[in-house]
Amino acid sequence: MKNSIKARRRFGNGVVYVVLAALGLLWISPIVYLVISSFRAEKGSFLDGYIMPRGYTLDNYVRLFTDTDQFNYPRWFLNTFVVAVCSCIISTLFVLMVAYALSRLRFKMRRPIMNIALVLGMFPGFMSMIAIYHLLKVINLDKTLVALVLVYSAGAGLTYYITKGFFDTIPKAMDEAAILDGATRFQVFWKITIPMSKPIITYTVLTTFMAPWLDYIMASVIMKDNYQNYTIALGMYRMLERESIYEWYTAFCAGAVIVGIPIAILFIVMQRYYVEGVTGGSVKG
Amino acid sequence: MSKKTAAILLSALMLVGLMAGCSSTSSSSTGGTSTPATPGSTPASTGSEAGGDSSTPATGGENISLRVWGPQEEQALLKEMCEAFAAENPDNTYTFEYGVVGENDARDRFLEDPAAAADVFMFANDHLRDLVKASALYEVTRNRDDIISRNVEGSVAAASLDEALYAYPMTADNGYFLYYDSSVLSEDDVQTLDGILAVANENGKKVFMDVSNGYYIVSFFFGAGDNIWLEGDAQKCDFNNEAGLAAAESIKTFTADPAFITGEDAIITGGMGESIIAGVSGVWNAEALQEKLGDNFAATKLPTFTLNGEQAQMGSFAGYKLVGVNSLTSQPVAAMDLANWLTNQENQTKRFETRQLGPSNTAAAADPAVKENIALNALAMQSAYAKPQNDVLGGFWNPAEAFGNALEAKDYSVDLQTMLDNLVSQVEAG
Amino acid sequence: MAAKADRQQKKDGLGATISRGVRGFGHAVSSFFKEIGAAFSQGDWRTRTSFIIMGFGCFTRKQFVKGLIYFAVEVLFILYMVFFGAHYLQDIGTLGTNLFDREWDEANQIWINIPGDNSMLILLYSVLSIFLCIFFLVIYFSNIRAAWQAQQMQTAGKKLPNFKKSLLGLLDEKLHVTLLTPPAIGVLMFTVLPVVFMICLAFTNFDRNHQPPGHLFTWVGLDNFKDIFGGNQLKSYTFFSLLLWTVIWAIFSTFINYFLGMLIALMINKKGIKLKGLWRTLFVVSIAVPAFVTLLLMRNMLQDAGTINVLLQDVLGWTDAPIHFLTDGTLARITVIIVNYWIGIPYSIIITSGILMNIPADLYESARIDGAGPWKQFTRITTPYMLFITTPYLITQFIQNFNNFNAIYFLTAGGPQTLAYYQAGSTDLLVTWLYKLTVQWQDYNLASTIGILVFVICAVISLATFNLTASAKREETFQ
Repeated sequence: MKNSIKARRRFGNGVVYVVLAALGLLWISPIVYLVISSFRAEKGSFLDGYIMPRGYTLDNYVRLFTDTDQFNYPRWFLNTFVVAVCSCIISTLFVLMVAYALSRLRFKMRRPIMNIALVLGMFPGFMSMIAIYHLLKVINLDKTLVALVLVYSAGAGLTYYITKGFFDTIPKAMDEAAILDGATRFQVFWKITIPMSKPIITYTVLTTFMAPWLDYIMASVIMKDNYQNYTIALGMYRMLERESIYEWYTAFCAGAVIVGIPIAILFIVMQRYYVEGVTGGSVKG
Repeated sequence: MSKKTAAILLSALMLVGLMAGCSSTSSSSTGGTSTPATPGSTPASTGSEAGGDSSTPATGGENISLRVWGPQEEQALLKEMCEAFAAENPDNTYTFEYGVVGENDARDRFLEDPAAAADVFMFANDHLRDLVKASALYEVTRNRDDIISRNVEGSVAAASLDEALYAYPMTADNGYFLYYDSSVLSEDDVQTLDGILAVANENGKKVFMDVSNGYYIVSFFFGAGDNIWLEGDAQKCDFNNEAGLAAAESIKTFTADPAFITGEDAIITGGMGESIIAGVSGVWNAEALQEKLGDNFAATKLPTFTLNGEQAQMGSFAGYKLVGVNSLTSQPVAAMDLANWLTNQENQTKRFETRQLGPSNTAAAADPAVKENIALNALAMQSAYAKPQNDVLGGFWNPAEAFGNALEAKDYSVDLQTMLDNLVSQVEAG
Repeated sequence: MAAKADRQQKKDGLGATISRGVRGFGHAVSSFFKEIGAAFSQGDWRTRTSFIIMGFGCFTRKQFVKGLIYFAVEVLFILYMVFFGAHYLQDIGTLGTNLFDREWDEANQIWINIPGDNSMLILLYSVLSIFLCIFFLVIYFSNIRAAWQAQQMQTAGKKLPNFKKSLLGLLDEKLHVTLLTPPAIGVLMFTVLPVVFMICLAFTNFDRNHQPPGHLFTWVGLDNFKDIFGGNQLKSYTFFSLLLWTVIWAIFSTFINYFLGMLIALMINKKGIKLKGLWRTLFVVSIAVPAFVTLLLMRNMLQDAGTINVLLQDVLGWTDAPIHFLTDGTLARITVIIVNYWIGIPYSIIITSGILMNIPADLYESARIDGAGPWKQFTRITTPYMLFITTPYLITQFIQNFNNFNAIYFLTAGGPQTLAYYQAGSTDLLVTWLYKLTVQWQDYNLASTIGILVFVICAVISLATFNLTASAKREETFQ
């Protein structure tokens, strides 16, 4: 009896291992292939009738940093990094401010603001891109990195929902005690709530930090012809135009790998916080 | 970074933003009094001169700043040419600002914000009509006769609309033709599509053509004598007549052939010399294919295909790249002179030498080196059967792609005549 | 978990919330005007002068900084309107009348172009000016109130708060103002204002025949909506077909995705499975590469001559002819959904596996005692618990997928094109169709109309689900 249960479990686990291995292979193989392509010696985006490259080289990586006349990869990387850092700082602050105000403070317009914010977040954003571009032009910021930072972080306040859920779980008694001791509400926010919100802050930082690396459309409308201020997505997409794809496809793969490494590390390290974040603190990992 | 530094950084940023906001509002509002319609134009495009001064001729001693757009591959050359232009005209001081906008994107980028677009920009001739319709292009009147006489006829036609010239022809190479592997195919084989396919099937090889693309699929319809044209502003198309049906049958036979291969343009550079022995593409792939095929690199006009049992020559679109001047430029004379300079014989030759782009200038094109260029020579052979793309509106491409898709996917659920009728009605509705 | 007031609101449902909101708003408005009226009829000369010179009341009552700020706002606003705003506002009815024109310049042999009005800028700057007017009005009335309150406090013999004190108040009892203002400005500038502008476009004829700088466009009322709802058969057929597909896509990409992720997470977390960290990392690595790269990579691999077909055909020899992953309408739809799983499931895995580990063990314990098998445990405990915690996440995911531009644009660009639709392909979502209409086709009016409809659909779906799940939540026992 006992043995049969054990056997059944062992069999079940065996099936699970097989399924996991198969799925894992499915998931990892495109990435592995991307890495392989980034070391490929043959140029072009298609291999004819075979899959594994016939030769390997490091040139694709070297060239990203040396052959910068046409595609200034290091510069774009730096641009994106700066934009990502700035916009994630501002976004995170905005989200925390809004979420705290809506979660902890009581004032007349609280409820309407929450509903409006919920609804506003649903507009297909890029429809308004052209208007945004012209507005930025009015304040003389079009085609600049500052504009990108503004655009990526301005709307951040609307995504308060998850963070608010997190704040809701922090016991109110602490705030009240602090206020009795003479602390202002700002001090409560800054000195008590924020230090307790590490998971949610990490989550917000992670998600907002990644946005500039992924966005193509918005950046293209704002940057227009200003090549020097391109972000990585914008620049790398240009490598795939019909005039340059043959020469640059493998370098494109190399560029993607370079972008991927820091994000991968960040993500694997921060995984735990990410989960806590997205579930609004209902889970304490 | 500590929280304090973060906060200081943030507030400084917002302050700068606000200050920038105030300063620009006031500066553009003062500008608004003289030219009320374009207070939004950036300082960069109006240059150092106020808009009102534009009418005074460039007598010399002026500071002229011009924004120039060209594709990525052109940038180095463009700088060189612009500096040469400044050296040629020492009376004025020129400052150039370069923007990277490819010929194919120029229309979209331009129309998003004409006031901030380049004074002088390169674009593909199929966008001419859209640009003219939006009054984006400055009509070319300076040196008009000279421009017309020194460029090949087709390129001038491509730069004109209703008798008016709107742009400066720059290249005559934006078309397509047949590349082939001369180690497998002989010159006789490539005369007919059937011949190519026969050799391909014999050797278990492929023939590439992106049929699900309006740009290429027209070659069958043009070959059958069909046309796409404009009546006033309305797009007309007769691909659904009897000849069109015959052409569609030919496409169906071609796409059903085991040797037929389709997909993105980049496939030809991957497969040529391996499984692909011939394919339809343009000069942008010449360098890559030469590298792959070496001595076997060959190109010629498109083949003939079997139409109702007889051979018919495949047609094509002839494309040109043009240089245009922004209708809102504050320096029309300088901008036009620059555009003229960028497209003169000397610079077209230079463009050919550095980038293998086919000149539209007759004298530059007569250069023996151009004639010997395999790809450009093939394009020249095809040009006899090519039609300009000017009269094709934006509404053509998606339906044409849809039609090609259905045949490539061998989806014969709807009969060809109905499909063609749908195609035409959508093209004409667009 | 949520504050009590929140639950209260959810219980009431949407209708009650709205009606309460409207009533509250009515009260606020009437009491507000009463106060302004009182300020005018009972105020002294200093308060009344504040109606014309802003900040006067505060300034003369020694609230210097406050007074100066009010005054500066007035001056700036007037300057703005005189030099910039008024010019555009006066044209808002027509959106411009001066056409592009030109004169012949014999000396240079060129036409001198005379730019006309730019309808789009007129509309945009008018919207901007209206926003600033509203902003100004708010400040204006607050100025009157401030003057009136200062007067009342002075008559009552109280000491007026100085500027420093008001500032400190912003960090304490008025902290919500401080916290909400910067994000609100951001949202107003870069979300609300552009959205209002976009909504306006839906009522104009801004299409490729009415483009600046050469042409003007103007108001056309509801014509664009009529077009979509039956006026133009092809367009409305396209709209509704794409809507259906978009909904199917969003459901598959959100819910099925979520459940598959949960299944994999369950497998990883199954008792006796070793190397849990390795398995999870295997899936998570795909998140690291930017989605547009993986999508472009997949597009290449799925071509007729791409790696996957080569693998199937030449290396493994399973198929004779290439499979048309991206060029066959139905197959392409399946392909994009599956590729989107590849991108989305890792997220689901991390999220669900975190929560799964936290389901209180005693819930399972008691279920087992009651004789529930694994399946029953899954449907009765695991699923409801997961849904309970991740509903907000799921709803935002659904809306995001509804508007998932990147996945489609980079993978298929909406293709394969089909003759059945107006300028759209089989895998086009409403948003990508809308993008094509603007960028390739410059039909801004039609695109805006679709944008509004997409918005309405999203808003209805998410508000409804929020309310439905809120009522479901009350019955939950997990808290």
